[in-house]
Order: sequence, then structure tokens, then C-alpha cells
Amino acid sequence: MTAPAAAGRKSILVASRHAHPGSSLPRSALDTALAAAAFDQPVTLLFLGEGVLQLLPGQDSGAAGVRNLRKVLDSLPLYEIETVYADAAAAAAFGLPRDALPPQIEWLDAAGMQALLDRHDHVLGF
Amino acid sequence: MLLHTVSRSPAHSALRDCLAVLGPDDAILLLGDGVYAAIAGGEGAALLAGSGATLFVLEADAALAGVQERLLLPGATVVDDDGFVALTERYGRQLAWY
Repeated sequence: MTAPAAAGRKSILVASRHAHPGSSLPRSALDTALAAAAFDQPVTLLFLGEGVLQLLPGQDSGAAGVRNLRKVLDSLPLYEIETVYADAAAAAAFGLPRDALPPQIEWLDAAGMQALLDRHDHVLGF
Repeated sequence: MLLHTVSRSPAHSALRDCLAVLGPDDAILLLGDGVYAAIAGGEGAALLAGSGATLFVLEADAALAGVQERLLLPGATVVDDDGFVALTERYGRQLAWY
């Protein structure tokens, strides 16, 4: 019996809440999202708290030999990760200039993030 | 005269704890994830500006984090590694907040 392709698909939310480059968790979060997408699972990314700092452009990672996370973020549509959510209050608290942040981000308040957590089959925190 | 080095983002207590004991002749050097506190308009920058602290930001770490010069709190001085060494000579003692 052949199951329809969609039957094995579970929605996954990856919640990233640490700053890069002081922690390797942001990179692990992205790797996890990309791996899930490679297995054709629907993945949603949420940046909250300190995690919104990963969204700053112009990360000059060459000298330190660290991956430029913003470049990875900008490539997510290639992996069919179209929707990326972020914590609006945190971005404001850190003074992030909205015009410098990725245009595809959907900004959420606390209630919006709660609803997002609620509607995924799996939630993974990094 | 102390040089305080803060290497955690302003979401952590490190910056607040440092500011609570900051002396009038002390200086703060932001490095690592601490550089995010220098983004003008953020809560960390507001705390720093309110404290009147002499403020330095480590160039390489700011560049890595995407904290570009145009984003910085006015009055913050960007230093390279040689500048960091010069600060340790000028201030003598160093206290790390992490």
C-alpha cells in the first residue's frame, strides 16, 4: 500500500533564541531546518529574543572563518523555507533598524508567537 | 581605573551588573556578543548612554556581528586589537563580565 506523500509530513518549528557568533546554537538551528527541508518536511523558522540579532546584515565573517548566518538566511527560499518569523518586541529592544532586516520576515508579537508554537506538530528550541 | 570587558548581549545581566558598579574613571570595552549593546536605539545603548561610561567597541567582533559603524551609539570609539592592548596598558586592571 502506497501512502500519499503528504501523509508522512509533520510540520516542524525551529525556534532560535541565541545570538551568533557567541554561540554555536544559531548555526545548529539553521542546519536542523535545512536538514528537515531536505527531507521534504515543512519547516518554519522563528527568531526570538536574542536570536533576532542573527538577522543583522553585513556580518563580516571572513576574518574569523565563521559562516555568515545572514547569507544562509537569505538562501532559505532555495530550500523552500519561505516563511520566517521573528520577535518584533526583541528587534525593537535591540534597536535593530527594520529597513536593514530581511524583507521576507513576518513580525510577530507574543500572542502571535504563542499561536505559531501551537500549530506545529514538532517544536525544536535552539 | 578599571577596564570592564562585556562579552554578553544586552539581553543578559552582565551589562547591567557592570554598570551598577562602574566607577567614574572606568571604561567599558564591548567585545564578543557584547558589541550588540552599542546599537544606537537599543536598550543596551540607552543604559550605556545614561551611565556616561567611556565606551569602546572591538572592531573585529563588531564586524563579525554585523554591527556596522553607522549603527553605533554616538561617542563609542572603535578599537582594533592593538587598541585593545593599549587600553589594558592605560587602565591597568581589567574585569571581565560574561
